[in-house]
Amino acid sequence: MKNLSRRKFIQGTAMAGGALLLLPGLEAFDFVEAKGPANYFLNEFGIDENICRKLLAKALSKGGDFADLYFEYTVSNYIGLEDGKVSQSSGRISLGVGIRTVKDDQIGYGFTQELTPESMLSAAGTAATICNMKAASCSNTFNKVQVGNYYPVSATFNGIPPKSKLPLLQALNQKCFSLSSELVKVNAGFSNTFKRIMIVTSDGLIAEDVIPSGYMYASVVAERNGKREQASYNLGGMRDLSYYTSDVVNKVATKSVNNALNLFDASQPPAGEMPVVLGPGITGILLHEAIGHGMEADFNRKKVSTYSTMLGKKVAEPFVTIIDDGTNMNLSGSLNVDDEGTPGKRTVLVENGILTGYLHDKISAKHYGVEPTGNGRRQDFQNYPIPRMRNTYMLGGQANPDDVIKAAGNGIYVEDVSNGQVKIGEGDFAFYVSQGRRIENGKLTTPIKDVNIMGNGPKMLANIAMVANDMEMFYGGGGQCGKNSQGVPVSFGLPTCLVKSLTVGGTQKQKGGQS
Amino acid sequence: MSYTDNQREFRELASWVVDQAKKAGANDCRVGISKNRFVEINYRNRKPETIKEATTQGLRLEIYKNNRFSSQSTPDFRKSTLSGFISDLVDNTKIMEEDPFRTLPDPKYFKGRFDKDLDLVDASYNSLQPEMRHDMVKAVEAACIDRGGSKVISVEAGEYDQIYEEFVMTSNGFEGSNRSTEIWTGADMTAQDVGDRKPNGYFWVGSRHRNNLPSLKEVGEMAAIKTLDLLGAKKIETETLPVIIENNIVSRLLSGLVGPMSAGNIQQKRSFLADKKGQAIGSKLFTILDDPFISQGFGSKTYDGDGFPARKREFFTQGVLNEFLIDWYYGRKLGWEPTSGSTSNILIPPGTRTVESIIKDLDRCLLVTGFLGGNSNATTGDFSVGIQGKLYNKGQFVQNVAEMNIADNHLKFWNKLIEIGNDPWMYSNVRTPSLVFDGVVVAGI
Repeated sequence: MKNLSRRKFIQGTAMAGGALLLLPGLEAFDFVEAKGPANYFLNEFGIDENICRKLLAKALSKGGDFADLYFEYTVSNYIGLEDGKVSQSSGRISLGVGIRTVKDDQIGYGFTQELTPESMLSAAGTAATICNMKAASCSNTFNKVQVGNYYPVSATFNGIPPKSKLPLLQALNQKCFSLSSELVKVNAGFSNTFKRIMIVTSDGLIAEDVIPSGYMYASVVAERNGKREQASYNLGGMRDLSYYTSDVVNKVATKSVNNALNLFDASQPPAGEMPVVLGPGITGILLHEAIGHGMEADFNRKKVSTYSTMLGKKVAEPFVTIIDDGTNMNLSGSLNVDDEGTPGKRTVLVENGILTGYLHDKISAKHYGVEPTGNGRRQDFQNYPIPRMRNTYMLGGQANPDDVIKAAGNGIYVEDVSNGQVKIGEGDFAFYVSQGRRIENGKLTTPIKDVNIMGNGPKMLANIAMVANDMEMFYGGGGQCGKNSQGVPVSFGLPTCLVKSLTVGGTQKQKGGQS
Repeated sequence: MSYTDNQREFRELASWVVDQAKKAGANDCRVGISKNRFVEINYRNRKPETIKEATTQGLRLEIYKNNRFSSQSTPDFRKSTLSGFISDLVDNTKIMEEDPFRTLPDPKYFKGRFDKDLDLVDASYNSLQPEMRHDMVKAVEAACIDRGGSKVISVEAGEYDQIYEEFVMTSNGFEGSNRSTEIWTGADMTAQDVGDRKPNGYFWVGSRHRNNLPSLKEVGEMAAIKTLDLLGAKKIETETLPVIIENNIVSRLLSGLVGPMSAGNIQQKRSFLADKKGQAIGSKLFTILDDPFISQGFGSKTYDGDGFPARKREFFTQGVLNEFLIDWYYGRKLGWEPTSGSTSNILIPPGTRTVESIIKDLDRCLLVTGFLGGNSNATTGDFSVGIQGKLYNKGQFVQNVAEMNIADNHLKFWNKLIEIGNDPWMYSNVRTPSLVFDGVVVAGI
């Protein structure tokens, strides 16, 4: 079956009265035909403009401002190594279409896993129930959206074959154990997803994209004097197999092993308010939680974000500029086109300390009378798009990183974080520090671990006192952001910067404090 | 065993898949087939904001061949495409590395399944009409808006219901089926506080049976009360004091304790509980049960993921850890007899007093009503989590607090348990009352 032209197969089954669906196999790496994005859903599943017009007309049969179709075919695979053996393998095939009808800020949504005309029309009928008016019109023609090229894949790329991942994981396992005799366990894994999407809108646009993503990780346990510590690290992004070289294997192994060994000397830090220095890179999760979510325009058009009244106002010192960007090459949050058909863009959230703009989908863009910013994202065809971040980062400043640490006096330095959360209305946020150090008298001293740091977004922004010149992006591929039960891949970036005061959730009161 | 039409179809298909997999070269396999129909309606500003309805289905196949293993799922149930799916998966399995522990469980462990009705299906589910769903949401929204009064910025109310069916078959004799319904309703409210602060609170409840939901007015009002309770919240100075964890959020703390009980974490040396079986790690008040046979329970079941019959267990008795969560694969790796690798309905036996009366007897204490961020280290037991709540002194309300944190180690923390409330949270598979801990460091200013 693998070398049979699917279009021919579909035509054959259609003539015989069969369904218009043929799922490709697991990881169909031996296909010989070219696999560029153009007309994929037409060629493979017979989704032509005529069917799209019928579906959109059905979705608008009871009125609405617009309707759109989101076709998706995704193959996800994971293989894992444990106790020296690559013996875990799992995967998922996902295929379907989501159909949305929008009237002002109201959404009707239906989806189906069967790309048959009957099932798709039924889903369109569900979407139409949000309105109760006379039918709205749909464009007769569809123009191709010129999308970006921020994660190029070769024309023949069609996923990463499992065979090629096994030696990478074995090499990663061996490298980890070679770095320390104190290692007792290594878990390694390779997760990758290959997604094809097509968006068709009632106002006459059609966009297609091919999205390769994945990551390689190691999670290690070390033992010293009867005490165990665990740490992990991953690298990846919107990339094909060529990225995963021995250099990447070595980086993942070295970072995970070193992080675990560092923890033997670490302790939970003192509790209370203190200066916090964020090291460069993944600590950009601070921006994601403290400001990024609050700038998603759905929260602001509903007036439930703490930032909903701050547009155009000064929120930080002039050396603070914060970006949300879909145009970075190969980063996890990069988008050639968003899930509403808007091409990938770069959006300035804070420019020289002034709050300049929100992150929009089509609904919020119409509400505010601005152009969509390309932030309309969804987890999959089973969900409608909402404003989401992409790659969120702060531009580098002028200071030397050592001077930033020195200026902190006594506090903590954050090197690695694992997760975070924010309350949109209050602006209160938290992020969990897995690696860091205490700062004493302006110098890095003993390691810290397992501490939650709390703050308030607007207060934190105003409290950014210094920004260094060492901005780094996070190149991991496992970063997922959750909102409304939808997960989407994102990334972060930050230069070393000093926040004058945040609450550190340690286990002991600081010396000199009151109890 | 009586089956629905769907389950009969699933059984026929599963049998065919097992046969095809064996023909393709598998030694053994497990196939799980499921279908879920759901409706979701949300209102804002007294009009529908989103309406979503669909049916999803999935077939998951696990292949075992010469101690090699792989699994894959697909939404496509047509035999014409499943043939290729099955043979591809068998081929994929061949390239995996041999692992002597990768087998289906010994069939002797499938015996002894509970055979009484767990009452997981609401017989009136199909009578739930669209206008009834809308009326439910309108009632919850109206009650929340009325109770929230002038402080309301936004109220989002909603309803979600589903009917789920599954069938599981293995090539070595296991068959299991499950059918359940559930319905949820509630509201999120955002209120105007001082300055730009806009606290958001919520209250959602669910049940297997629609008639067992609390009154919709009560649900909407609770969402408003939860939100109004957040107004004026500020952090206080770091101090050590008694802390009461409210019933509906105890599950978050428990997850940091139950996860390390799994055989997978123990075998992989990622569990601070690995050598603690038979030892006291909590106070005498700390008892945790796992009961899969609660009528209409969200975690109720008759078999687990390995096909083992579900059974009642007592994880902790008066602070002593009794047993681990041992699945087939990691049990074999450890050389331990398997129990079950998963939980069902987790229960902490309730105490006798209300939270209000407990607070009256404490001098200065903090009622924690929500967590923010944080994490728990399974290897060491260290945890740190953000909190919000209400500060009391001698039973009198002092102020709402936010932007604060508690951190400890599980091996110390559960020894600080000094009282258990009489208010188990019923809308979850973790049915725990509020818990009172003494001497907790609460980090703030």
